[in-house]
Amino acid sequence: MFRFIIFISIFAQLLFSNEAYEIIKKLDENMRGENISMRLSMRVVSLRHERTMKMQTYSQGTKKSFTKILYPPKDKGITFLSLDNQMWQYVPKIERVIKIPPSMMLQNWMGSDITNDDMVKQSSIVEDYEPRILKKDENIVTIELIPKEDAAVVWGKIIINIDISTYTSVKDIFYDEDGEEIRYFIYEKVKKFGKYYIPTYWRVQSSEKKNNFTEIVLEEVEYDTEISQQYFKKSALKRFSR
Amino acid sequence: MFSLALKNILFYKGRSITTFILTFISTVFLVLYVSMTDGSHDSMLKNSLKIYGGAIEIYHKDYRDIGGNEYLIQDVKSIESKLSKIDGIKLFSSRYETYGLLSFKDNSTASMVVGINPTKEIELSQLKSALQSGEYLKESSQNCIYLGSGVASKLKVKLGDEVSFIGGASDNSFSADIFVACGIFKTGLFEFDSSATFISRVYFDELMLSKNKASYITIKVEDLDEVDEVNNEIIKVLDSENLESLTWKTLMKTMVEAMEVDSIFGYISLSLFLIVIFFVIMIYGFINVSSRIKEFGVLRCIGLSKRAVFSLLLYEIFILSSLAIILATPIAGYICYYYSINPIVIEGIAQMYQDYGLVSDELPFSFDIFTIFWNICLIFILNLLSVVYPFFYINSFKPIEASRHV
Amino acid sequence: MYSLIIKMAWKNSFLRLPRTLLLITMIAVSMSMMIGLQGLYDGMANNMLDKNKRSASGDVSIFAKDYRVQKDIKYRIKNAHAIREELQNIDGVKAVVLRVQVDGLVATARKSSFATICGIDLKSEDKFGRFSKFLKSGEMKFDKRGAVIGLELAKTLKVKVGSKVIFSAQDISGEINSIALRIRGVVQTTNILLDSNAIFVDISRVHKFLGTSSNDVTQIAIMSDNKNLAELLKLKYSSLDVKNFFELQPMMQMMQEIMFIFNSVTFIIVMGVVFIGILGVMYVSILDRIREFGIVLSIGMHYKYIRLQIFLEALFVSFFGYISGAVLGGILLIYLRDYGLDLSAFSDALEMWGYEAVIYGTIKISYFTSTFIAIISASLLSVLIPLRKIKKLNPIEVIKAEK
Repeated sequence: MFRFIIFISIFAQLLFSNEAYEIIKKLDENMRGENISMRLSMRVVSLRHERTMKMQTYSQGTKKSFTKILYPPKDKGITFLSLDNQMWQYVPKIERVIKIPPSMMLQNWMGSDITNDDMVKQSSIVEDYEPRILKKDENIVTIELIPKEDAAVVWGKIIINIDISTYTSVKDIFYDEDGEEIRYFIYEKVKKFGKYYIPTYWRVQSSEKKNNFTEIVLEEVEYDTEISQQYFKKSALKRFSR
Repeated sequence: MFSLALKNILFYKGRSITTFILTFISTVFLVLYVSMTDGSHDSMLKNSLKIYGGAIEIYHKDYRDIGGNEYLIQDVKSIESKLSKIDGIKLFSSRYETYGLLSFKDNSTASMVVGINPTKEIELSQLKSALQSGEYLKESSQNCIYLGSGVASKLKVKLGDEVSFIGGASDNSFSADIFVACGIFKTGLFEFDSSATFISRVYFDELMLSKNKASYITIKVEDLDEVDEVNNEIIKVLDSENLESLTWKTLMKTMVEAMEVDSIFGYISLSLFLIVIFFVIMIYGFINVSSRIKEFGVLRCIGLSKRAVFSLLLYEIFILSSLAIILATPIAGYICYYYSINPIVIEGIAQMYQDYGLVSDELPFSFDIFTIFWNICLIFILNLLSVVYPFFYINSFKPIEASRHV
Repeated sequence: MYSLIIKMAWKNSFLRLPRTLLLITMIAVSMSMMIGLQGLYDGMANNMLDKNKRSASGDVSIFAKDYRVQKDIKYRIKNAHAIREELQNIDGVKAVVLRVQVDGLVATARKSSFATICGIDLKSEDKFGRFSKFLKSGEMKFDKRGAVIGLELAKTLKVKVGSKVIFSAQDISGEINSIALRIRGVVQTTNILLDSNAIFVDISRVHKFLGTSSNDVTQIAIMSDNKNLAELLKLKYSSLDVKNFFELQPMMQMMQEIMFIFNSVTFIIVMGVVFIGILGVMYVSILDRIREFGIVLSIGMHYKYIRLQIFLEALFVSFFGYISGAVLGGILLIYLRDYGLDLSAFSDALEMWGYEAVIYGTIKISYFTSTFIAIISASLLSVLIPLRKIKKLNPIEVIKAEK
């Protein structure tokens, strides 16, 4: 009898962690579909400055993405391509394609609270972390993501709150190794596109600097369309800049 | 008693001459040694200040620790107008520093790109004299970039090549441009040469949206010895919680510490010389005294007190030391003074450092009356101390016994 | 006859005991201080040299051409094993290590910094330069993604033993790779370049990370007592960049030369003053006895015996001075070697310049032999002038004079 209880509890735990994994996976699918193209506007607010940028992005799976800046006019036509773990940038003003070196990967992308690394390694949430359900509160499931020992991620852990009625995240909190909060993402205004749900308002906030945040509003979203493979080549950087 | 001492000095010529010469040598030696150490430290400091550092630099708080655009100085003009009213400031200029990616063909490197006022920098730093090839910047040199030799070799850039730059402007927005390599410099500071590049501020401010902003303001003072007074004045005038004005003593803490360590070692060696010389003077004093045991015995017998004997000895050494020091001081002082104005040039070092750029081969002395004064006092005290043992030695004889001593 | 002279010299040496003792003390104090100082300076210089050799360059280092300028994995040695094999068969080569280094970025959740990852093989590094001795805290282990980090870099990143860091760099195909490392230990090599930049991990991990084979290295460092090894290897591997220690560290050579000059100048000055001291004492001691010598000469004793006696006197005194100096100096040196001079108050500056906060002395036999020679010659020289006085002596006058 006793043995049976142990068996059950192990089984339950397995189930439990599997469930966490399933939730994370569904969340991830919602965020990217087979492929996704978005038009978004990004507002970066810091103590002294406030800037708005608009851009168009195309991405397929976790390895390929292409981004083009539409606004402001000063930056219009700047394009980014990330393939696997590499990232290139084309700047029309200087007519150069530049490969972003590792030393720049952790710099803030276009001055926002998002790093280049966040842009490139979007996949890692499923591959690099061990998920565990902390609690379930009606529709909201709180999952703790602990990085796998060999995962090349800087965070100590990430706590995400997922609304399982839509499989979208409500809030992600990033912690360092000592368990101190570094930054968090807030997601709002979930909309349905085809079979996918996605929040159309994101806010990235640094935990220490309360006055610094980045807001992203998804203006147009299209899932699973025919994205031309032309976008995911180095030649696209220049070609689609105009 | 004084005249007796004088007579003794004249009578015991050997001892007098040796003591005189040794005192003379040790005074000159000590003064020169200290002056040379201080002088070379000063010149080390001045050299590194000359190359790029400022005697005083004004920062927004936290810029030095955290950095980034949030901590830029926002209103350079009003600070500059305040600074121009302070006496003791020779020149000041603001610099705008940013880190960006420079690339040329397949090569790229992260670099500190600095917007400077080229004319003022001629006086403030040695950027112009560090020129290796090409030409130095002018206000109007547009997108000319002045590259450290290390940066140039990493990028494999030659003069006239176009170098692309990407980085962040002062409002965190994206910035990119093409610069033309106009000049290459080498200061001899390896880190600096392999990371720093310069652009005229007139042009760079347009690109970085950094007009009236600065990473810091660098200040050259009239007299480096009065840097603290000037700095206090600046802090008073700035009157701002958000700004900090720091002198080189804080900015170059490790260097200052290193010099202190060097001085400690200098003083250890110096004390070795002084102790040896002290011993010799004492030995000569002792020999002299021991040959005069009989004389002292007689003196005591005719009623001279122990104290009087001691003061006789003191008088003798006092006269001898004074004479030696009076002669030595002007000579040593003059040598210090001469070499403080015309530094010794060490030929070998110049050759050895050809590759290292601007490292100086001059070894100037420092000329400081106060330092010379305490050096002299030290010698004087040591000399006076040297009669203590001989005095106890003669005291160990009873007067009668001593008067019969052979 | 000679035994009599020796006896007389011995007695006379200690006739005026306080005076002789003073002289002995002077010799002892100045000599012990001087060799203490030399030991300290040499210790400082050697320590720096030694640690630089052990942690980085060895006696000779081989790089691929252009690597030292470009610091890029593109410029690497591609047949390292064969070269190592060849090197190990050369006379005087004691140890050879292979290293792979690549520059990149190291990051924690809060901070990031430029860094160099150094792939090393702990076992051969220990044989090469006792690498494990550099450990400051934690343990020297590379298993389970373990890495050991330079002290200054650890301070910059604010990481401690047990922290996780992410290192990113370009591999040979140009792709940016990242690797998670667990800090297992902190090292202080006092080689400032390493302390402020390096993360040491096992060489095989770096190979895997970069996509290189174990035959690919950026540096081959050699410990050897063969002085001509660098020249030899320059001819042998003309397609590679062979550099000896001082070519890699010209400042070190200069420092050593300056130390040597400084020590020699100190030596000459101190010995000069000691000479003056002995001279004074010997001169007076001869003058004291000038009547005595006059009598001895007038009863027909040859001048050379007197000379011998005086030489012996000088020798006895200076020898005792030397012995006590050697003992005192020896004690001082042993203290400095074992306990060192603590300059922790200036540790920031010292570490910045590649010194340790506590400076330990070395002991060389040459300190004792060279001072021995110097003191003995000083004492012998010092009696020459008084001797001339005796030689010119007219015995009759001397006896009549005074008293």
